[in-house]
Amino acid sequence: MSIRRRRFIQGSAAVGGSLVLGVNLTGCGPTPLPHAASADLQPNAFLQLSPDGQITLQLHKSEMGQGTYTGMATMAAEELNMPPSMLHIEQAQFHPDFIDPDFYVMLTGGSSSIRTSFEPLRKAAASLAYLLRSAAAEQAGVDIATVMLRDGNVYIGDLEVKPASLIDRARQQELPEEVPLKAARDYRFIGKHNARLDARAKVTGQADFGLDAQYPGALSAVLVRCPHFGGSLKSFDASAALASPGVEQVLEVDGAVAVLAGNYWQARQAANKISVEWNKGPLAGVSSRALRAQRHELAKTEEGKQVEEVGEASAAVGERFEAFYDVPLLAHATMEPMNALAVASDDGIEIWSGMQGVQLALDAVERATGIERSRIRLHNHFLGGGFGRRIQNDYVVEAARIAQLSGKPVRLVWSREDDTRHDFYRPDATALMAATIDGDSISSMQIKAVAPSIFGQFLPLMTRSLLPRWLPSGIHDGIGDMAAGSDPSASEGLIHTPYNFAYKRSNYVMQDVSAPLGYWRSVGHSQNAFFMEGFIDELAHQTNKNPLDFRLANMDPESRHFAVLSKAAELADWGNPPAGQYQGLAVHESFGSVVAEVVNVSADGGRIRVHKVTCVVDCGQVINPDIVVGQMQSGINFGLTAALKGEITLEDGAVQQSNFHDYQLLRINESPEIDVHILPSTNPPSGVGEPGTPPVAPALANAIFAATGQRLRELPLRLS
Amino acid sequence: MTSLAFTLNGKAVELDVDPSTPLLWVIRDELAMTGTKFGCGMGLCGACTVHLNGNPIRSCSFPVQGAVGQAITTIEGLVDEQGGLHPVQEAWIEHNVPQCGYCQSGQIMSAVALLESNPQPSDADIDAAMSGNICRCGTYSKIRAAIHAAAAGVQHYDPQANKAEVAS
Ligand code: FES
Ligand code: FES
Repeated sequence: MSIRRRRFIQGSAAVGGSLVLGVNLTGCGPTPLPHAASADLQPNAFLQLSPDGQITLQLHKSEMGQGTYTGMATMAAEELNMPPSMLHIEQAQFHPDFIDPDFYVMLTGGSSSIRTSFEPLRKAAASLAYLLRSAAAEQAGVDIATVMLRDGNVYIGDLEVKPASLIDRARQQELPEEVPLKAARDYRFIGKHNARLDARAKVTGQADFGLDAQYPGALSAVLVRCPHFGGSLKSFDASAALASPGVEQVLEVDGAVAVLAGNYWQARQAANKISVEWNKGPLAGVSSRALRAQRHELAKTEEGKQVEEVGEASAAVGERFEAFYDVPLLAHATMEPMNALAVASDDGIEIWSGMQGVQLALDAVERATGIERSRIRLHNHFLGGGFGRRIQNDYVVEAARIAQLSGKPVRLVWSREDDTRHDFYRPDATALMAATIDGDSISSMQIKAVAPSIFGQFLPLMTRSLLPRWLPSGIHDGIGDMAAGSDPSASEGLIHTPYNFAYKRSNYVMQDVSAPLGYWRSVGHSQNAFFMEGFIDELAHQTNKNPLDFRLANMDPESRHFAVLSKAAELADWGNPPAGQYQGLAVHESFGSVVAEVVNVSADGGRIRVHKVTCVVDCGQVINPDIVVGQMQSGINFGLTAALKGEITLEDGAVQQSNFHDYQLLRINESPEIDVHILPSTNPPSGVGEPGTPPVAPALANAIFAATGQRLRELPLRLS
Repeated sequence: MTSLAFTLNGKAVELDVDPSTPLLWVIRDELAMTGTKFGCGMGLCGACTVHLNGNPIRSCSFPVQGAVGQAITTIEGLVDEQGGLHPVQEAWIEHNVPQCGYCQSGQIMSAVALLESNPQPSDADIDAAMSGNICRCGTYSKIRAAIHAAAAGVQHYDPQANKAEVAS
């Protein structure tokens, strides 16, 4: 058994490999399987068969709306040859087999879930299916080829055998070196199954989000944090708060003030009565305006690090044309504010919350509380939105510390104001886009991107989970600093573009003053697609070409970009919008998928109205077509919010926005008709959760140019 | 503290609570019914939408004293005694509306109230009635389709009804 298991681990995840930094991974020795039960047949960490006949799938990725709950079940069910709805699904605890090969930790992000699970999860399910068939064959003394598994039963000819009756015998079976997987032509569910398996729970109010977790006697906690990033607590007076109805305790927790009360309302009312004095910290006096001006200056004065060079610089002949592009900080604004329920006891600590990074949270709680990780138990939930926010685990750590210090079970709930002001933001970024125009063609494109580094801030968190624990803390920060100068997310989408100009160069200049940063749906692509596809549109107009023809003429006709863009133009009837409407388009590759979008817009009386978005996506093999459609619509509305509304600004090192009146999100009356088409593909699956977002801002800006003649180079888009 | 009484999903409720407490926190924290969600606390997002005598209200900004003697319905109250779903819930499932799902209790409560007062809403009617409910996952296209389907009397869940396919 153990030999087979080891083989499976090697085949399924990149554990034991080495990180980009050349550091060997540690701590991946045999770990007990999650939810192990001795009576179960559990050939791997993903699947188990219980004596009552139930097959359980450990959901090792967080469901935050992107549909992974249904997607994982569909892939496993295909190899088990049973409807996905027959599976029992559990949120997985940490296990090394659940480590994401892209991130080296167990994490949900980067639109990687389906892509990185497609092979290992189907193999895990196929292994379980094989063991059952092999056991049935042995029991009946027939060839395994005559045994099949279908819809939850094993069949030997017409003879039906209950899988649970085979558990003991199945344990004795040997797995072949390569467990065969179904051929694509035999798929019953992959590419066909549409119904979301979490829909019923989510329309009846029964779905359990972190905020819904219950514990007897749990108090509600709110935390008053320093509004200035990096600032600290000078003093506070809680006498009025302590006299407020329902308040049980007020205490200082790691530089913030926690209020514990019988319910959230009481805690919040009391918190409003605390008077606090803060030290403003390192960002005192820093404003978004000043940071933007600094980026423009850096673009002119600094070379930064070259991240791409294609062709010879001598090819850059002709007249130079350049423009600055800018985007602001953005908050994630998940509908469910950050929260966690924590209970500390002599046995350790138990936490219920919605997390994208269970393993990172586990490590962070261990560091913050000093409680050994074997005594920390984390329960993941449905996430009321993630978009990258819940990769961070600040809110989990806060709840753990409040529970530890107060000794009481607590449900920490952030207000919307907390959520807006204490996010890890999409970086504010600037690009100096330049090209040389030689007659009517483009001879070069030269880009300088200036932005603070997410990677530099985030990597120390990762390495704390990856590297041996005895390393001093300074090493982790050092690695972060080292990596920051070449943050891949700052350049993604500006390099490896489909455009075949004779010379292409891209540089990245890091800005080192910054608000806390994090991964925000589509990360660097969210701004870089706007820079790139907006500027490409400018180049088309500079050379008097139709924006569609210009793009197609400068890319490989055999490329996916060419196919996707051509199809989008055809479906949107490019060039023939309804009367009074104007069109813009963009195409962008991210997370392995290529998406083109055509936006129809009108701008009567200075009011931008988006009427329709036509979207074509090539995301490889599709698992659940209607979920892909939903994700494209979702990503487009997310991108439209950023394009039309989103802006977080700093003043004196503090965020000025607070709630949905000054950090507005797109509403139904502003959301366009969205027409999504999926290109058929036999390639393995690629990303779906994020790739719909990047093209929409540039496509919209380009449509606005068509409508008004105004070239808008800064988000959010504002007509002058 | 004062003893307050109202009807919640057809059942009488009586509890001691500060009458200025928003109804949302009475439902969630005092009664531990978690289908109704907290999004903004300022009446801006609609996640907390419940019905007061059949009319949609934002429970985060509605003091519980306003509910005294009235009938409150939450998402849990839409399901009938046999566990049968409301046609709007059925339509939501059929159209795969929920993504993260966090806003959907509020969306559904608003949609049910809309269809009660306007059984055949136009797109403009839907926009007007639903614009107080934010969906950060951007499920608006599917919400619109599901409301039209519910209006057309689609009552039963048919898993084959989702026709999305890979285009050729
Ligand atoms: S929580 Fe009530 S409207 Fe947002
Ligand atoms: S489904 Fe996520 S906010 Fe609406």
